Amino acid sequence: MMDAALIPWLLAGIPLLGAVACLPFRSNAEQLKRSAVTWAVISLASVAAFAGRIDTPPEGLLPLYLLPVAATIALLGQPVHEHHRRSWMLTLLLLGLGLFALSSRSPISQLSLTLLLALIAGLLYRHHSALWPRSWWGIGAYGLGALCAAMSAAADAPLSSVTSLLTCAVLLPLVPFHDGHLTALTRLPGSLPSFIVVLLPLAGLHGLAAAIPAVPDIVAWTVSGFALVGASYGGLKALAQSRVRLLLAYGSLSFFSILWWFAAASRMATPRSALLVGTVGLATSGLMVAWQVIRTRYGDDVDPQAISGLAAGMPRYAVLLSLLALAAMGLPPFGVFAGFMGLLLSSPFPSLAGLFITLLAWLAASWYIMQMVQRLLFGVRRPELRYTDLLRAEFASLLIVVLVLLALGLVPTTLFASEGDLFGTAADIGETPRWNR
Amino acid sequence: MTLVLLVPLLLLAAACIVLVGRRGSEYARMKLAAYPVGAAFLGAAATLYHVTTEGPVSIRFYDLSSVASFAIPFGFYVDRLSAVMMTLITGVSVIIYTYSTGYMYQDRHARRYLAMICLTDFVLICMVSSANLMMLFLFWQILSYLLYVLAHNHAHEGTLVGAFKTFTILRVADTAFLAGIALAYHLYGTLEFQELFIRASNTPVMLSLWPGMEMSGATAVTLLFFVGAMGKSAQFPIHLWLPGSLFAPTPVHALLHAGIINAGGFLINRLAPLFGLSSTTLHVAFLIGTLTAILGASMMLAQNDIKKTLGFSTIGQMGYMIMECGLGAFSLAVFHLIAHGLFKATVFLNCGNVIHNARLEPHFPHVDDQTEEPGLSRLTWFTGFVTTLFIPLLILLITHGVLRIPLLESQGTVIFLFFIWITSSQAILTLTRLRQVASWKVSTAMLMTLLFIVFVYLFAVESFTEFLYPNPEEVASYFKVADLPDWLFDLMIVTATILTVVSWSYLYMSAHGMTVRMPAWIDGLRIRLYLPFMNRLYADELYALTGQTIMRLVHQLDKRERGWSR
Repeated sequence: MMDAALIPWLLAGIPLLGAVACLPFRSNAEQLKRSAVTWAVISLASVAAFAGRIDTPPEGLLPLYLLPVAATIALLGQPVHEHHRRSWMLTLLLLGLGLFALSSRSPISQLSLTLLLALIAGLLYRHHSALWPRSWWGIGAYGLGALCAAMSAAADAPLSSVTSLLTCAVLLPLVPFHDGHLTALTRLPGSLPSFIVVLLPLAGLHGLAAAIPAVPDIVAWTVSGFALVGASYGGLKALAQSRVRLLLAYGSLSFFSILWWFAAASRMATPRSALLVGTVGLATSGLMVAWQVIRTRYGDDVDPQAISGLAAGMPRYAVLLSLLALAAMGLPPFGVFAGFMGLLLSSPFPSLAGLFITLLAWLAASWYIMQMVQRLLFGVRRPELRYTDLLRAEFASLLIVVLVLLALGLVPTTLFASEGDLFGTAADIGETPRWNR
Repeated sequence: MTLVLLVPLLLLAAACIVLVGRRGSEYARMKLAAYPVGAAFLGAAATLYHVTTEGPVSIRFYDLSSVASFAIPFGFYVDRLSAVMMTLITGVSVIIYTYSTGYMYQDRHARRYLAMICLTDFVLICMVSSANLMMLFLFWQILSYLLYVLAHNHAHEGTLVGAFKTFTILRVADTAFLAGIALAYHLYGTLEFQELFIRASNTPVMLSLWPGMEMSGATAVTLLFFVGAMGKSAQFPIHLWLPGSLFAPTPVHALLHAGIINAGGFLINRLAPLFGLSSTTLHVAFLIGTLTAILGASMMLAQNDIKKTLGFSTIGQMGYMIMECGLGAFSLAVFHLIAHGLFKATVFLNCGNVIHNARLEPHFPHVDDQTEEPGLSRLTWFTGFVTTLFIPLLILLITHGVLRIPLLESQGTVIFLFFIWITSSQAILTLTRLRQVASWKVSTAMLMTLLFIVFVYLFAVESFTEFLYPNPEEVASYFKVADLPDWLFDLMIVTATILTVVSWSYLYMSAHGMTVRMPAWIDGLRIRLYLPFMNRLYADELYALTGQTIMRLVHQLDKRERGWSR
C-alpha cells in the first residue's frame, strides 16, 4: 500500500513527467499534441485510482477530477500548429502544480500555489505587448497573489488567513482583484486560457474552503459587497463586449462572484460550490475551445461580427456550441444550473437585494451569451466564408465538455461527495436541507 | 405506473425515430413516428381513466427521506389535473404531427422540425406530470429554449429578432419563477407539492421587505410564481414574445397556442392551494388578466394579418383564463384552456387554407351587400330583448335553482354571469347593427344555439369543477379568498349593466332617427384608438427603445471604465 503522503507527489508527478516526456517531440507538433493528450488522460486515470486515498477536502474531490478533464479538453481542442507547442507542455506543467496544490496539505499547498501564480505572472510578462498596457495590472495581480500565497505559508494567524483570502481573490476572481483573470484569459496563447479558467478558480476555491470559516464578520461582509459588485459588474461588462474571449472572461467573473456571495453568506465552501466553480470554468473553457475553432478557420484577429450562418455550414459545430451556450448561461439540465440551484437552496440569504442581484447576474448571461451564439450561428450564409465543420479532435473536445457538463447536472451529488460534506456539518447551518426536510 | 412513464417515453421514441436512421428513409421514419405519438395519446387517455378511478399516481426516482438526492429530483405525480393536461397535449400533438408530415413534406428541415415537435411534446408531458417544483422548473426552462428553437428560421432576420425576443422575455419570467422556488424552499423547506401546500397553510410567515412594509410569505411566493406564469401565458406587459414568434411554421403555432401557452394556467392550477392562501396575488392576477383580455381583444380587432389576429386573440383568451384564476375559478380556467386550445389549434391549422384561397380569389373576402334596410324590424328588437334580458335571467335561475351555486356568497360566479351577459349582448348588438337578424329562421337558430351553448357550457363547467376539485369546500374557499372589495364588485356590476343598457338605447335611438348628442371627442376616439391598437400600443417599439437605452448605458459605462480594467 502506498503511503497517503506520497499520493499528492504521484498525482503531480505524472503530468510533470508527461511535460518532460513531451520534450523529445518538440519538432513534431502532431506527435507532441498526441503525447500531451495521452499524459493528461493518464493523469485522469491516476486521479481516479488514488484520489480516494487522500483526505477529502471540504469542497470534495470533484476539482481533482475536473483538472485533468479540463486539460484534456484544452489540449484536444487546439489545432496542430507549431505555435502552440509550448502551451501544450505548459498545460501539463500547470496541471501537475494544480493537482499538487489541491491534494497536498498546508503549507506545501501554498508553496505550490506560489509557484503556479508566479509562473503565470511570468508567462503574462513574456506575452506582454506595448499595445496592451493594461496587462501590467494582470501581472501585478498574479504577483500579489504569489506574494500572498507565500506569506500565508510562512505567517501565523490572523495574517495568514487574510493573505490566504487575498490569494483566493486572485485565483477565484473577485473584484477588485480580477485583472489577472481577465488578462490570463485574453493574453495567454494556445491551450492555456481554456485550461487556466478551470484550474485557477478551483485552486482558489480549495483555499477559500479553508480560509472562509475563520474570517471575521466584517471581512465576510466586505467580501459579500465585493461579490455583489463583481456579479453585476461582470454581467454589465460582458454585455458591452464584442470580443469573445473578453466576453467570456467577464461572464465567468460574474458567475464566480455569485459563488463568492454564497460562500461569504454561509461561511463555507461545500462540494456544491465546487460543482458551480468547476462547471462554470468548464463551460467557459468549452466556449473558448469553440471560439478557437473559429480562430483556426478565419484568423486570430477575426471579428465575430463578420461571421454568421455557421448553423447551416457547420451543423455539428452549431449543435455543440448551442448546448455549451445553454450550459454556460446556467440552464438545466447542465452542471452550472445544478451548482447554482444547489447553492441557492442550501445557503442562507443575507439579504433579498443580494439575491435579486445574483438572479439578475444569472439572467444577464442569457443576453450576452445568446447574443454571441446567435450572431455566430444564425443569419445569412456569407459567400466569402469557407465553412468547414469540426475536425475529429475538435469534435471530441467539445463533445467531452458537453457530456461532462450534462453528467454533472444529472448525477447524484453524492457521487463525488459524502452527505456530510455536501452541506457542511449540521451545526454550521442549523437544519440539514433536503428536497423535503 | 408503467403506463404513466410510457406516455413521455413514447414521445421521446418518436423523436428518436425521426432523427436517427439512414439517409433516404426520412419520409418513412416520419410516417412511422406518428404511431408512437398516437400510442402516447391512447396512453394518456388510459392514464386519465386510471387516475379517475384509482386516484393519483406517484413515481419518484429519489428518496424523500434522504439528503442524497439527485441534482434534479426526477419524479412523476399524475392526478386528475395532470392527466387531463396529458390527454389534451397528446391529443393536439397527434393532430399537429399528422398535419405537419404533410405540411413540411419535402422541406429540407422537416426531420429536425418534426423531431423538435416530438421533443416539445415530451417536455410538456414531463412538465405537467412533475412530482415537485424543481422538476417542473427544469422542463419549464427547457420549454423556453425549445420555443426559441421552434420559432427559428436561420436565415430570416425578422424571425431571428423574434426568436431572441421570445427567449429573453421568457427568461425574465423564468427568473421570477426561480426566485419563487428559492423563496418557497427557504420559507417552507420543501419543493414537494402536497407537502408545500400543507406547510404553507399551517405556518403563516411574514416577510419584511423594508422597515414598515410586510408581506405574507405565501403572497411573496405566489406573486413570483405568477410572474413566471405571466411569461408563458403571454400576459401584459410581457406578452411581446408571442406576436414576435409569428414567423414560425403554422403547425408550431397550433402547438404553441393549444399547448405551450397553457403552461401558465397549468402552473397556477397546480399550485392552486398555495394561490388560495393569498387574496393579494389573486387580485393582481384578476387585474393583469382583465387588462390583457381587454388589450389583447382590442389589438386583435385592429390587425390586418390573419396570424397576428389569431395571435392577439390568444393573448386575449389567455387574459380571460388568468382573470378566471384571479376570481378563484381555477377549474374554469382549465376548462377554458382546453376549449381554447382545441379551437385555436383547428383555426391555426386552417389559416393556411384561408391565405391560400385569398391569394387565388382577388375578391376574397367577399364584399357584403352595402344596401342597408331603413330600420330595424320588430323581430330584430325581439331577438335582442330575448338575448340580453331573457337568457341572463334563465341562466341566473339555472345556476341558482338547478346547479345550487350560492350566488349571493360567490362574487366570482356573479362576475362570470355578468361577463357572459355583456359578451352575448355585444355579439347580438354587432349582429343587429349589421342587419343579420332579419328572419325568423336566423333568429330562432341563433337563440337556440346560444341557449344550447350556454347551458351545455354551464353544466360542463360544473361537472368539470366537480371532477377536478371534488371537494366543494375547497372550491368555495378559493372563491372566498378571491373576493374583491365590495365597492369594486358593485362598480363592475353597475358598469356592465350601464354599458349594455346604454348600447341598446343608443342603437334604438339611432334606428328611429333620433338625434344622439355625442361629444366630438367620443366620435373621434374610435379613430384615434385604432392607430395605437393597430400598432400594438407601440409595445414593440417601447421594448426596442428600452433595450437600446440599456445597451447605450452599458456601453457608456464600459467606455468610462475601460481605462481601469483593459
